[in-house]
Amino acid sequence: MSEFSLYLLQQLINGLTIGSTYALIAIGYTMVYGIIGMINFAHGEIYMIGSYVTFIVIAGLVSMGMVSLPIILIIALVIAMFIASTYGWAVERVAYRPLRGSNRLIPLISAIGMSIFLQNSVGISQGFRDVALPPMISGGWAFGNPADFEVTVSYMQVVIFAVTFVTMTALTLFISKSRMGRACRACAEDLGMTNLLGINTNKVIALTFIIGAALAAIAGLLLGLYYGVVNPFVGFIAGLKAFTAAVLGGIGSIPGAVLGGLVLGVTEAMTAAFFPSEYKDVVAFGLLITILLFRPSGLLGKPEIEKV
Amino acid sequence: MNQFRKTLLGLSTAVCIMGMTAAAQADTLKIGLAGPATGPVAQYGDMQKIGVMAAIEDINKAGGVNGMMLEGVIYDDACDPKQAVAVANKIVNDGISHVVGHLCSSSTEPASDIYEEEGILMITAASTSPSITEKGHQMLFRTIGLDSLQGSMAAQYILETAKPASIAVIHDKQQYGEGLATAVRDQLAANGLKAAMFEGVTPGDKDFSALIAKLKKQGVDFVYYGGYHPELGLILRQSAEKGFDAQFMGPEGIVNADLAKIAGEATEGVLATAPKSFDQNPVNQARVETIKANGEDPTGPFVFTAYAAVEVMTNAMTATKSTDTEKLAEYIRANEADTAIGKVKYDEKGDLTESTFLVYRLHKDGSKSPAQ
Repeated sequence: MSEFSLYLLQQLINGLTIGSTYALIAIGYTMVYGIIGMINFAHGEIYMIGSYVTFIVIAGLVSMGMVSLPIILIIALVIAMFIASTYGWAVERVAYRPLRGSNRLIPLISAIGMSIFLQNSVGISQGFRDVALPPMISGGWAFGNPADFEVTVSYMQVVIFAVTFVTMTALTLFISKSRMGRACRACAEDLGMTNLLGINTNKVIALTFIIGAALAAIAGLLLGLYYGVVNPFVGFIAGLKAFTAAVLGGIGSIPGAVLGGLVLGVTEAMTAAFFPSEYKDVVAFGLLITILLFRPSGLLGKPEIEKV
Repeated sequence: MNQFRKTLLGLSTAVCIMGMTAAAQADTLKIGLAGPATGPVAQYGDMQKIGVMAAIEDINKAGGVNGMMLEGVIYDDACDPKQAVAVANKIVNDGISHVVGHLCSSSTEPASDIYEEEGILMITAASTSPSITEKGHQMLFRTIGLDSLQGSMAAQYILETAKPASIAVIHDKQQYGEGLATAVRDQLAANGLKAAMFEGVTPGDKDFSALIAKLKKQGVDFVYYGGYHPELGLILRQSAEKGFDAQFMGPEGIVNADLAKIAGEATEGVLATAPKSFDQNPVNQARVETIKANGEDPTGPFVFTAYAAVEVMTNAMTATKSTDTEKLAEYIRANEADTAIGKVKYDEKGDLTESTFLVYRLHKDGSKSPAQ
């Protein structure tokens, strides 16, 4: 392969990795929106909490003398998912459920408030500085001719990519096949009617928040390990990008969130590859606006049908 | 309420008159300390606090200034220009007229307008942007060299010692980082070394893989980064993972133990222009001991510039036997002072006449040593 195509391949891999990370977080936004039509702005903070829990657990286990990496990671993942889910559930219970049925704007403001509250409370308890973790999974593959351009793919990038797809597939199956998934779809279609038919919609909504938060914790673990740093504000930027990915792909659609994430990630990487990297966000958000102009419901979103 | 205010007004007028008749009536003098106590660059605020508090402690132990004891009052601007303005107004309202700070150039600049208007003396121990002293403020001084000096020192080192085949200049699009990066690029270009790349990254970004792939493709062997440690730390870490092994160099904004925490092994050998290690200077032994006795770290780049900022103020207070800020500013501008950072002399704009920087090599354990 020529130097140019190797370079293009490297940037594509970079873009797909960034995109996968957006996608993992975007799924949480899209699920909640699909069911209650609300944007959970505190979702990015749940991701941040997932990262913190991972760091604390890993540091704790390592200092206790544990050496087996897979066991450490599994324990960290389970604890992070549990704690993040608890937060997800509590946020819904405290900040959104009492406001359900009121004007759409009110839960939105409540969500922004929750986001700022979580950022600062984590900051106060854990410090506002970057917390770093030494590389846990290092190494990778390199191919191409080192003389002109060597393409590198780290193990971590592959893991991120794989986990995103496994998660998306599992979630799609859960929604389309399981009983609870059916209840979710029913709620998405018509919340009031589902309630009338005897389904406990509060339970379904709480479950949505718990699943979304557990996914955010997975993202928190993976990205925490990949980048090796976390601070109380990482959730804000990650959340913003993931939200963009969800809108781009069609908010409410799970494959859409993943597609949106990948499109956004690849666009950013390609822009940085061929233009000065400060144009990255200009091009990425320009693309978002253009797509929304031509497809207002996003790439895979269903056009909103006026409910009668 | 109204009645109460009138009484208060009367009382304070009375205090003022009394103050004029007997100059050294008040027994404590409050010194405002403005900088980030929270936020992503709070470490630097801590360094400033360590220096100022140690200076105040030492001066008080030696009997204070003109019979007054000093007291440090901390204000948090989180390195946010909007908050800096709020802090400046609060300092005005609190009746404090001597300020050490702010820390980030982008905070110092808006705050300095308020202090100038209110006649508050301000000495910044960390803001290095040249534009701060361009406005001709009379109440503003610094105890740190300028960005432009730091930039030209870096450029000189690159041209004379590093001599790279191909160089990239990267910055974080902020006043401090981009200002420095531009200064370096321009000086290199003037000497015939054209930067292969000149680009900005977004502060707070976590993924720099696309940028690193580009640097690798360009065959760059030297990268100058204008910005702070959180982004450079990640760039270093990700460069190591991706097999990109150019020499990196940055300003004093990257000199911080957290850089080594983030980048680990990749920190080894990174170059940086930083204020001279004043804690290593034998003259400062007593000062270092005060700081260590408080359980604090004396090695941060802004600790001794902050210490010196207090000394410049108190030195002028002792010499003029006054706390009047206009008299102090006039004295500081005209006279040399002996401080923790050596002899301090100012030009018309309130900038130091001599650079306080040196090129250092950083190590993976968070320490640094002078570069050859």
